[in-house]
Amino acid sequence: MLLVALLLVPLATAAAAFFARRRAAMEAVNLAGFAAVFVVAGVLAVRVLANGTVSLGNGFFYADALSALVILLTASVALVCSTYSIGYLRDDQQSGALGDDASGMEQIAQFRMYYTLTPLFVFSMLFMAVANNLGVMWAAMEVTTLASIFLVTFYGKVTSLEAAWKYAIIGGVGLSMALFGTLVAYYAGHRLAGSEALSGLNWSVLAQRAAQLDKTSMRLAFVLILLGYGTKAGLAPMHTWKPDAYSEAPVPSAALLSTALLNCALYGLIRFYILASRCLGAEYPSRLLLLFGLLSMGVSVPFVLVQKNYRRLLAYHTIDHAGIMATALGLGGPLGWLGLMLHMTFHTIAKSLLFLCAGNVSQHFRTDLFSRIKGSVIRAMPLTGVVFLMAMLAIIGMPPFSLFQSEFLILRAAFAGGHVLAGVLFVLFSTGVFTGALLHVGGMILGPGGDTAVAARRPWRDGSVLALAAALVVIGFWIPAPLFELIRGAARVVGGQ
Amino acid sequence: MTERMMTRLIENAAQLFLLLVLAPLVTGVIRALKARLQTRRGPGILQPYRDLRKLFRKGMVIPETASWIFAATPWVVFFSTLLAGLMIPMVAAEAPLGLFGGVLAVIYLLGLGRFFLALSGLDSGSSFGGLGSSREMTISALAEPAMMLAIFTVAIGAGSTGLTEIAGAAIGQNWRFLAPAQMFAFAALALVLIAETGRIPVDNPDTHLELTMIHEAMILEYSGPYLALLEWAVSIKQLVLMTLLINCFWPIGLQPTWFGFGALQGIGWLLAKLLFLSCAIVLLETVNAKMRLFRVPELLAVAFTLGSLALVSTFLF
Amino acid sequence: MLMMPFINLQLGDRIVTLMAALVLVLQIAMVSQRWIVIHIRIFAAQSLFLAMIAATIAWFNHAPHLYVAAALTLVVKVILVPILFERLVKRMEIHEEIEPIVNVPLSVVIAGGLTLVGYVVAASFYRPDEPGLGHNALAVAISLFLIGFFTMINRRKALTQVLALLSLENGLFLAAISLTYGMPLIVELGVFFDVLVAAMVLGILVYRIRETFESVDVSRLRRLRG
Repeated sequence: MLLVALLLVPLATAAAAFFARRRAAMEAVNLAGFAAVFVVAGVLAVRVLANGTVSLGNGFFYADALSALVILLTASVALVCSTYSIGYLRDDQQSGALGDDASGMEQIAQFRMYYTLTPLFVFSMLFMAVANNLGVMWAAMEVTTLASIFLVTFYGKVTSLEAAWKYAIIGGVGLSMALFGTLVAYYAGHRLAGSEALSGLNWSVLAQRAAQLDKTSMRLAFVLILLGYGTKAGLAPMHTWKPDAYSEAPVPSAALLSTALLNCALYGLIRFYILASRCLGAEYPSRLLLLFGLLSMGVSVPFVLVQKNYRRLLAYHTIDHAGIMATALGLGGPLGWLGLMLHMTFHTIAKSLLFLCAGNVSQHFRTDLFSRIKGSVIRAMPLTGVVFLMAMLAIIGMPPFSLFQSEFLILRAAFAGGHVLAGVLFVLFSTGVFTGALLHVGGMILGPGGDTAVAARRPWRDGSVLALAAALVVIGFWIPAPLFELIRGAARVVGGQ
Repeated sequence: MTERMMTRLIENAAQLFLLLVLAPLVTGVIRALKARLQTRRGPGILQPYRDLRKLFRKGMVIPETASWIFAATPWVVFFSTLLAGLMIPMVAAEAPLGLFGGVLAVIYLLGLGRFFLALSGLDSGSSFGGLGSSREMTISALAEPAMMLAIFTVAIGAGSTGLTEIAGAAIGQNWRFLAPAQMFAFAALALVLIAETGRIPVDNPDTHLELTMIHEAMILEYSGPYLALLEWAVSIKQLVLMTLLINCFWPIGLQPTWFGFGALQGIGWLLAKLLFLSCAIVLLETVNAKMRLFRVPELLAVAFTLGSLALVSTFLF
Repeated sequence: MLMMPFINLQLGDRIVTLMAALVLVLQIAMVSQRWIVIHIRIFAAQSLFLAMIAATIAWFNHAPHLYVAAALTLVVKVILVPILFERLVKRMEIHEEIEPIVNVPLSVVIAGGLTLVGYVVAASFYRPDEPGLGHNALAVAISLFLIGFFTMINRRKALTQVLALLSLENGLFLAAISLTYGMPLIVELGVFFDVLVAAMVLGILVYRIRETFESVDVSRLRRLRG
C-alpha cells in the first residue's frame, strides 16, 4: 500500500502534467505531486524505523533502512528542485533561452516534456530503490537513463545533443555490462533450490543464501556490476559523460542527476557489494571499490584545477564525491559504512544547493565561464553569493559543516582498517579538489568585479535556495534523531546485519 | 607390371580424361546459366570446346621482347594444373595420384602455375601484363593463407593431409558438416574459390577493361595454341577447386574404387554436385557487382578470419 | 526408449551449435559491412536465429518459458526495431558508412581475436558434469558482446553505433539462454521493453543529430572538451 502509493504518485503526476494545457497547471501538479511523494517517503521512513523492513507482493517490493534513506533523499531533492524549476523555467521563457516562439505552443510543448519526464525520472529512481528483484532493479535503472536523455537535450543546442548522445551511448554500454553482471549473479545462484521462480533473482533471497553462491561467477558478476552501475554513478574511467550532461541539462535536472541518480547508482552497487562480500569475503570487492574510488578522486583533481566552466567544475566535483563514497564502501568497517551513509545524506543536500546557486548565477549572467563573471556575484546577487560560498565550503569538508564529519569518519575508517596508502591518497586528492574548487568559485563570487545590475527578485528560486541552505546549516550541527537512526540503520544494512 | 600398378594407371588415365573433357563443359555450363539468368540466349554449352579447337588451329604472335618464360608458361601451367587435378578425389575416394604432402602439394602446384603466369605477364613487356600480375599477386597473397587455414581444419579433422584420407574421413560421418569448424572452413573455402577462379565479385572473367581485369590482363598477349592451353588450364583449375570444395565437405556419392557400376554412379553424383555448385556461383555472380580492387582485401580478410576461426574451433568445440 | 532423450539432446545441441555459429558469422559480417541498410538486415537475421535458438532450447530442454522469450525476440528485434531503423534511414537518406577508425580487414581480424577471447572466458564457465547446453552458445554470446563493444568504438556513424549496442544486447540474451535458460519472465519482459524504448529513444536522438549537424558522423561531436 505504502510502497504502491510511493510509485503511483509520481506516475499520476507525470500523466497529469502530460495532459495539462497551461504551464501554471503543470507547475502546480508537479509541486503537489512531489510534495505528496515527500510525505509518503517520510511515512515510509517512519514505518521502516518501526518495523525494520517493509515488503509487499510476496517480496517483490522490499524496503529496508537503506532503501528508505535513499527514497527520502530522492524525494527531498525532487521537491526542492520542483519548486526551483518553477522560477527557473519561467525565467528561461522570458529570457528567450527556450527559443523564440511567437505563439508559445512550442514552449508549452517543452514545458510539457520537462514536467512529464521529471516525475517519470523520479518514479524510476524510486522504483529502483524498492524493487527486490535484481533484474527489475536493472530495468528501472535503464528507465532512468531513457527518461533523462531528453532532459539533457532540453535546450536543443548543438552541444546538448552531443552531451545527450555521449550519455546515451556510454550509459547504454554501462547498463549492458550491468545486465550481464545481473545475469551472472543469477547464474551463481541458479543451482540452489527454488531459483527458477521469480524469487531466484530477489536480493533478499540471494542475500540469505549468499554463502552458497558460486564464487567464480560472483567475482565476475561483481566486476561487471561495478563497471556497469559505476558508469551511471560516474566513477572513472567511465565518467566522461558527466561533465557534458551536467553542463547542458537544465539546472534542476542536473541537480537531480548529480544527487538522486548518483545515490541510486550507488544503491545498486551497495546491494551487490553486500552479496559479494557475504559470498567472497570483503577483501576482493573492497579492493576493487578502493581502486575505482581513488581513481575517480584522482582523475577529478586536474580537471577541477584547470576548469573554466563552473557547471563542469560541479560535475567533476560530483565525480570526486562518487569516488569518495565508493572508497568509503571499499574501506568498510562500521566507521566506513556510517561515513558512507552520512556522506550520502550531506552530499545530497550540499550538491543540490550548489547546483541551484549555480543556476541562479547562470541565468543572471547568461554565461557558464568563470572568466566572464569574475567576482561580481556577491554584488549582483548577495543571497546567492553567500549561500554559494557557504555550500562550497561545506562540500569541500570545512568544519563545522557536516561533510567534515563524514569525511573524517571515512579517514578514520581507512587508518583503522590499515589502509594507510588509501588514507593518504584520500587526503591528497581531497586537498587538490578543495583547493581548485575554492579558488575558482571564490574568485567568481568575491572580488572586485565589474559593474553589474543587481538581480531582480526571484521568489521561487531564492526560496528554494534558502530552504536548502537552512537545512544544510542545521544538519551541520544537529541531525534529528529519527534521521540519524535511519542513517545508522542503513549503515547496518550495508554491513550485513 | 603388377595388378596394383595396372589399376593405378587405369585410374590415372580415367581421371585425366575426365579432367580434360569435363573442364570446358563446366565453364560452358556456367556461361550458359549466367546468360539465361540475364535473359540472354548466350553461347551454347559446348562453345568452349569449339573455342579450344579454333585456337589450336590458329597461328601465334609472340612479342619480340619475350623470353623463354613466355613459351614455357602455358606448358607449366597446363601440366601443373593437371597434376594437381590427378591428386584430388573426383569419383572415388581414393585419389589416383598421391604425392608427398597431399593437399599441400595441390595448393603448391596451383601456386606454381600462378607464379609462372604472373612472370609471363611481366615478361611480355606490356603494361597490361604487369598490371594484371601485380593485382593477381595481391589477391593470392591474401587468399592463400585463408585457403591453407581452411584446408588444415579439414585435415586436422581427418588426421592427415592426404586427400584420400580427408575424403574417407568425411564419408563416415553424416552430421559432421553441422559442426561449426566445418561450416567456417566451408565458408572460407567458398570465398577463396571465388577469388582463385577469378569470379565476380573479385574479378570479372568477361571483361577486358583496363580498370577491371586481373586474370585477363596476364594472358592478354597470348594467342593461338598457347592461349588454348592457358584457357584449358584455367577451366581445369576451376574444376579442381570446385571438386575439392565439394568432395571435402559433401562426399555423398564418392565410391570406394573406380571400377564397376559404382564408377558410373560416382560420375553421376559428381556431375550433379558440380551443377549445384555452378548454379550457386552463377547466382552469386549475377546478384553481386564486381568489387573495387582495394575492397577485395576486406572480403579476403573475412575469409581469413573464418579460416582461422575454423582452425581454432576444432580445438575449442 | 531411455536413449531417446539423450539422442534428442544431442540433436538439439548440434542444431543450437550450428545456429550459434551462424550468429557469430553474421556478427563478423556486420564488422565488415559498409551499407547501413545491410547492417540493419544482418541484425534482423541475427535476432531471427536467436529466436530460433531460444525455441530450439525450449523444445529440447523442456523450458517452456523460453517460448515467450523467443516470441518477444521475434516481435521486438526481428520486426519492430529493424522496421523503425529502416524508416529512419530512408528519412535521413544516409546510406553508406565512412571508413572506420581501424580499417576493415584489420577490424575483421580483431573480431576473430575477440572471438577467441570469448571462448577462453566461456571455457571457465563450462562444467561437463552439468546437463544442458555445452559452452558453445555461451562462447558465441561473449564474443558477440565483445565484438559489439569493439564495433561501437570503431565506427563513426551514429546509427551503426546503435546497431552495435543492440547486437551487444543480443549477445547478452544468448548468454542468458545458454547459462540459465533465460531469466525470470518478468525480468525478460522488462528487458525487452527497455530494449524497445531504448531503440526508439536512440533513433530519435540520431534523427535530431542529423538535423542539427547535417551528418551522423559522431566524430564531429567534439565541441565539449575538458
